[in-house]
Amino acid sequence: MSVAGKVALPRITGSTVVLCLGAGAALAGSVLAAVALPGVWNLLAPLLCLAGLGVAWLVWFRSRQALAAVGGQLQTMAASGEINLVPPRALGSMGQVVSPLNSLLESARNQIERLKGERRELQIHARVAETEKHNAEAIIFSISDAVLVTNRYDELLLANEAAEKLLNFKLAGNQRKNVDSVLGDATLVQLIRDTRSHGRSFTRKVVEHVVAAKGDGRTFNVTLSCVMNGSDEVSGVVAVLHDVTREKEISRMKTDFVSNVSHELKTPLASIKAYIEMLVDGEAESEETRQEFYEIISTETDRLHRLIENILNISRIESGVVKVVREPISLSGVAKQVLDVSSPQAKLKNQKLVEKLAPVYYQVEADHDMIYQAVMNLVSNAVKYTPEGGTVTITVGADERRNTGFCEVSDSGLGIPADDLPRIFDKFYRVQANNKMAKGTGLGLTLVKHIVEIVHGGTLSVTSEVGKGSTFRFELPLVK
Amino acid sequence: MSRKILVADDEAHILHVVSMKLRNAGYDVVTAVDGEEALELCKSECPDLVITDYQMPYMDGLELCLAMRATEATRNIPAIMLTARGFDISPADVEAAGIRAFLAKPFSPREVLRKVEELLGAPAGVV
Repeated sequence: MSVAGKVALPRITGSTVVLCLGAGAALAGSVLAAVALPGVWNLLAPLLCLAGLGVAWLVWFRSRQALAAVGGQLQTMAASGEINLVPPRALGSMGQVVSPLNSLLESARNQIERLKGERRELQIHARVAETEKHNAEAIIFSISDAVLVTNRYDELLLANEAAEKLLNFKLAGNQRKNVDSVLGDATLVQLIRDTRSHGRSFTRKVVEHVVAAKGDGRTFNVTLSCVMNGSDEVSGVVAVLHDVTREKEISRMKTDFVSNVSHELKTPLASIKAYIEMLVDGEAESEETRQEFYEIISTETDRLHRLIENILNISRIESGVVKVVREPISLSGVAKQVLDVSSPQAKLKNQKLVEKLAPVYYQVEADHDMIYQAVMNLVSNAVKYTPEGGTVTITVGADERRNTGFCEVSDSGLGIPADDLPRIFDKFYRVQANNKMAKGTGLGLTLVKHIVEIVHGGTLSVTSEVGKGSTFRFELPLVK
Repeated sequence: MSRKILVADDEAHILHVVSMKLRNAGYDVVTAVDGEEALELCKSECPDLVITDYQMPYMDGLELCLAMRATEATRNIPAIMLTARGFDISPADVEAAGIRAFLAKPFSPREVLRKVEELLGAPAGVV
C-alpha cells in the first residue's frame, strides 16, 4: 500500500484508479488463498500478491505515461493556441480514449484553419474596400467641379470643397441631413429630388442652372445621375456642377465678333457695290464725278484690306507665325508719323492734338510697322472716344535709369468703367457703355497688346476714369 | 413740289451715293450723320420718308424710328432701314418703330430707289 500511496501522489486521478484496481486484485488473491487452501497456498499467497501488485504497477505506469502525454499535449496546445494531435506511440492502453479525442481535435483544427482563411480573406476585402473608398473620395475631392452625393432619403452623404464653396455650406456637421436644410438653392434641391423620385427613367440628365453668386450669377451644367443598388433600386443621387460661364461668354464673344466683323466688312463692301452700280447705270454724268467714284471704290477696297489684315495679324501673332523685322527705331519718329495721319480726323471733331516728344536719339529695337500700328490704334481710339473739342496727348519719353522708352496716349474722353478695365484687351471685347460713341470690332486693343507684349516683350498698361479720360502707356527696352 | 427724303448714315460714302441716286431720280434729299441729328431734321424738315442706317453713334436707327413715333409731327413718316445686321431687330420693334422695309448692306442703289417709289410713288415732275 505504501508503494500505491507513494505512486498515487501524481495529480492525474485516473492513475490512482488503475493503481487501486491492481492492488485490489493482489489483496483478493491473498485473501482467497488464506481461506480456501491454507497449506500449499500459504507459500504461494505472498508470491501471488507480489505478481498482482506487479501487474497493477505496470498498468498504472502505462496509463500514467499515456495520460501524461495527453495532458502535456493539451498544455502545449493551450500555451501555443494551436491544435496538435496526440502522438500514436504514446497512446498505449489509452488508445480507446485518445483516438476519438484526436478525431475531435482534427475536426476542430480544420474548422479553425478554415475560419482563419475566411478571416484573412475578409481582412483583404476590408482593406481593398477601404482603399477604394479613399480613392473615390480623393477623386471626388480633387475634381474642380462641384460634386454632391445624396442617399435615397435626399440626405447629404458627400460633397467636395468646390461644392462647399459654391453652395456656401460645410460638409462637416451636415452629413446625413436633408439637402433642403443644407442647401439654400431651392432649384438644385428640387432637381436632386426629381432625379431620385423618377428613378431609372432619369438615370442621367444634364440641366443648365444659374447659381446665384456675389456679383453676377454663374451658369452651370448640372449632371444628375441616379445611383442604383444591386436590386436595381435608386440608392441615391450624384450631382456634378460644371461651370460653363466662361464657355458661354466665349461663345457670346465669338458670335458678337462674327456679327461685328461682318458689319465692318459689309460697310466698305456696300460702298464698293453701290458706286460700281452707279457707274454701270450711268448715274455719274461728268468725268469728274466718275473720277470721284473710282477714288471712293479704291479707298474702300483699301479699308477692306486693312480690316482683313488686322484680323489676320492677330491670328498670326497668336499662332506664332508672324514675321518680325527688328531694327533700332525712334518712338518719337513713329508718334510723329501717326499724328500726321490722325490730325485730319481730330480736326473734324475740333480736338486738340498735343505732342510731347522726347529727342529722336532714344531708340528701341522693334518692328517699325507693328509699333506704328500699335500707336495708330491707341491714337485712333483716343480720337474716337473723345467728344468734340476734347484733347488727345501723345507723350514719348525715356527712363534711362530703368533703360526703357515709353509712349503714352491720353485723352479727355469718356473713360472706361472700372468693371470693364480688366477686359478691354480681350479679343472682341467692347465697352458696352461707350458702344454708341464709335464703331469697332473689339480687335484694336487686342492687337496693341499682342504687338507690345507678345512680339516685343514690352508692357502695356491703362488707367482710366469715367468722364475724365483714359491713358494708355507702353514701355519697351532702350537700345544701349 | 417734289417729295423730300431724309437719309441718315454715319458712313459719308453711303450717304453720298444714296443721296445722288435719289436726287438723280428727282427727289429732294436732306442728310444726317447720326441719329440725333436725323431726329432734329425730321422735326424741322418734315420729310416724306426716312432712310436710316441701323448702327450709328449717339442714337441708332431703331431708337431714331421709335423716337419719331413718339412725336406728333413725325409719327406718320415711313422709314426704310438700311443695315448690315437687320437680324438684331425683333419683329415687335419693327412694328413699333414703323419700319416699312429693310435693305441689307451691301445694297443696290437701284433697289433703294425701287422701294422709295413703292412707298411714295414717283416724284412729282418726273412721271
